Amino acid sequence: MKTTDAWRLSAIPYSEMAFKSILQNSSNMWWGSFGRGSSEVSRREDLVKRALRIARFDKFIITAFVVVAAGAPFLPQVLGASYGISASVTLSLAVSFALVVLYGVQTLSSFVTSGPSPVLSTLPLMREDVSLVNLFSFVRTSDYLVVGSVACQVFFVSLVTGSALSALFMLLAGAMNSIMGVGVALWLSSVFYRNILSSKQGKRGGALRLALLSAWGVVVLGIGVLFAAAGYLIPLVQTVLASPNALTGSILSLVYPFSLGISVGSVAQNVGLSLVERIALGATVGYLLVAVVVSRWSMTSVSSFPEGSSMATSGGHSRDTSVPLHEPVIAYALKDLRSASANLPSAFLFTLPAFETLVILLIRAFLPTLGASTLLVAMTLGGMVSLILPLVLLSSEGTGFDFAKTMPLRTKTIVFSKALITTAVFLPAVAIVYAEGLLKPLTSPFSLLIPLASILAVAAAGLLEVRLFLGFAPSGRVTFVLQEFARMAAGAGVVLLPAIIYVAAYIPTFNHALAAGVMVVVASAEVLAATEFVRRS
Amino acid sequence: MSLKLSGGAARTEAPSSKHGARSEGGVTEDADALVEIHGLAKMYGNFGALNGLNLKVMPGEIYGLLGPNGAGKTTTLRITAGLIEPTEGSVVVSGFDATKDPFHAKAQIGYVAEIPILYESLTPRELLEFESSVRALGKEPVNRKAHQLAEAFEVASAFDTPIATLSMGTKQKVAIIAAIIHQPPVLLLDEPLNSLDARSSRILKELLSLHVQRGGAVLFSTHVMEIAQRLCSRIGIIFEGRIVAEGDLDQLRARAGEKDATLEEVFMKLTNEASEVENIVKMLRESYFVNEDH
Repeated sequence: MKTTDAWRLSAIPYSEMAFKSILQNSSNMWWGSFGRGSSEVSRREDLVKRALRIARFDKFIITAFVVVAAGAPFLPQVLGASYGISASVTLSLAVSFALVVLYGVQTLSSFVTSGPSPVLSTLPLMREDVSLVNLFSFVRTSDYLVVGSVACQVFFVSLVTGSALSALFMLLAGAMNSIMGVGVALWLSSVFYRNILSSKQGKRGGALRLALLSAWGVVVLGIGVLFAAAGYLIPLVQTVLASPNALTGSILSLVYPFSLGISVGSVAQNVGLSLVERIALGATVGYLLVAVVVSRWSMTSVSSFPEGSSMATSGGHSRDTSVPLHEPVIAYALKDLRSASANLPSAFLFTLPAFETLVILLIRAFLPTLGASTLLVAMTLGGMVSLILPLVLLSSEGTGFDFAKTMPLRTKTIVFSKALITTAVFLPAVAIVYAEGLLKPLTSPFSLLIPLASILAVAAAGLLEVRLFLGFAPSGRVTFVLQEFARMAAGAGVVLLPAIIYVAAYIPTFNHALAAGVMVVVASAEVLAATEFVRRS
Repeated sequence: MSLKLSGGAARTEAPSSKHGARSEGGVTEDADALVEIHGLAKMYGNFGALNGLNLKVMPGEIYGLLGPNGAGKTTTLRITAGLIEPTEGSVVVSGFDATKDPFHAKAQIGYVAEIPILYESLTPRELLEFESSVRALGKEPVNRKAHQLAEAFEVASAFDTPIATLSMGTKQKVAIIAAIIHQPPVLLLDEPLNSLDARSSRILKELLSLHVQRGGAVLFSTHVMEIAQRLCSRIGIIFEGRIVAEGDLDQLRARAGEKDATLEEVFMKLTNEASEVENIVKMLRESYFVNEDH
């Protein structure tokens, strides 16, 4: 088979793989239904249509985002900043690496669980041809992302330095970075979906899942911090790197992707290389070897799927058939937690409110006291982020929801269980705030009532949002969009209202005790009203 | 047509339902129907999947819904199970209206879909934990039934394996266990023997026999004539969304005017497909093995 034919043919297994990966991770499809009412023919048909829609546009949207993210760190130099570009290159490589990993893990799930296209192996094709098509299908998972981000990086390095050699180095660094990113995504997917999902669940499996979730969290949080603090980080890092022979610079020059960033920056200068730059160039050669090893491992792994591996199994040797029982609401919540934690990206969303709160506290770490304004902002934003959970939990039902629908199950059981999870997910954020309260003096002890009121507000918002999303959808497409936004806005409004009340009560009186008291009363009223609404509807 | 299943196991626990009285086996003529479907219609856009379907399933009866693909078998079962709403008509299960009182109607039902619908990221143990908890079943009976059924269908070894990774046959077994663990009076089974091995098929047939002997009812969809003929006490032939004939095999033969015909022949006759199929077979005989190059 000609290489061009294999490339052309690989478009079909790639599309199938992207579609299946999205369908497999139904909790990621929460945004795919916007503008479309759910089909009554079957939930599966609705999910399939949604997955096809997402698969069609997903890669373009992500590519656009990656290109912007990879180019953004060069803006200071484009706007006339006088310092070198090493820190910008490093940041750009770090962000594009993380985004390639994040996207790759989602797209490669079906690749590692069932192979790119089992149908291929039933056709009269040579094994080598099937392997080549599989390899190209794999390449297609991140081709636009890689080409887009590397082209963007090369463009900006050329623009800023005017050096062809620097641009060439950037091309090499970008390619190495992408190879490593795709390799890490493939490895993460393999470990998570193959070794955990397909094997027996035990303490070891649970610990590994937790470790992977933490790794995932670090990547996501890392991107957030890099974006949030880019304005401070770039000059800071550049200053450290610019100081010759400094210990910190020497250490950083060994760390990926600083080595690559420093190397690209050093080539642009027409002066002799400093010790830091020499170390970085040496480390870059080492990382080049690592990239070669990673690319060979990736190709070998991908080519080992020609028959289309199947996860079908009849199980192990357990004879214990005991079934623990719980209250219906707890059972439903447990089911939701188990379903959502089987999917790496959606599982991380459970920790997002805590991370969000932590980031806000870190950003305001320079303040000597823990003020009511910091608490209000941290808790309100953390609460807002929590409200994505109802959507994620409803989407993670997937086709299995038909199973629940055959049972004598009241809507309020589902609503209470999902609101319970939403509130529970918000609790670590509150714990972080209280921990901060132990470390820092408070402007008023009464401001510690703010997190309490926020818990109540999040519980009320969760109840309202889930109930509204489980309601009937209108038939018109425009009406549907408006109503979906209205449902989310209703939840956000419930979270915001107590904070607004606090501000409204504080400004004329300057009395924290009064403002916090009113806030708690309003949030409690919200919970009562939302509970009554769920019970009655 | 009489029931052709081996049975004889002692009556253990009667399925719970609104109806207290149960026969020891066979159809109880004077008992209320456990499933009563009246004037059922379902429109998908302009397409009528069901067009005024009526049927009753009595206690102690295995009612077979037999029909070609797209005739409305699955839609009938999905509406009865409460998965979709009818456009018109009513479904009453053990005296509970499935549309007006779905909570109590669903408590009377165990449903196995044509393609197993399960939470695939859960393990069978977690799925049964979820179902039994939501149905508020007792711990002791659930664990006893879970153990019996897991051993019977040989899925105990897969109890901690995510359902997504199981073979289709094992998934089907898990779906069957989930449908009967609460011992409902009404079983709705959509092609339940799909993907099952011979051993499990036999066990399921025995379970169905025991179920109806204890006064339960089974509404069973299939397009396999032999299964319908051997398993069902009464058959309804569904075609273009309505029941075109109903009864045991002798009654269907009489309706078709074919005295010694097999169920397949009766089916073809009643669904007006006999002549069409003959023409297609004739065409295939004439052309299928002819080399087009010659």
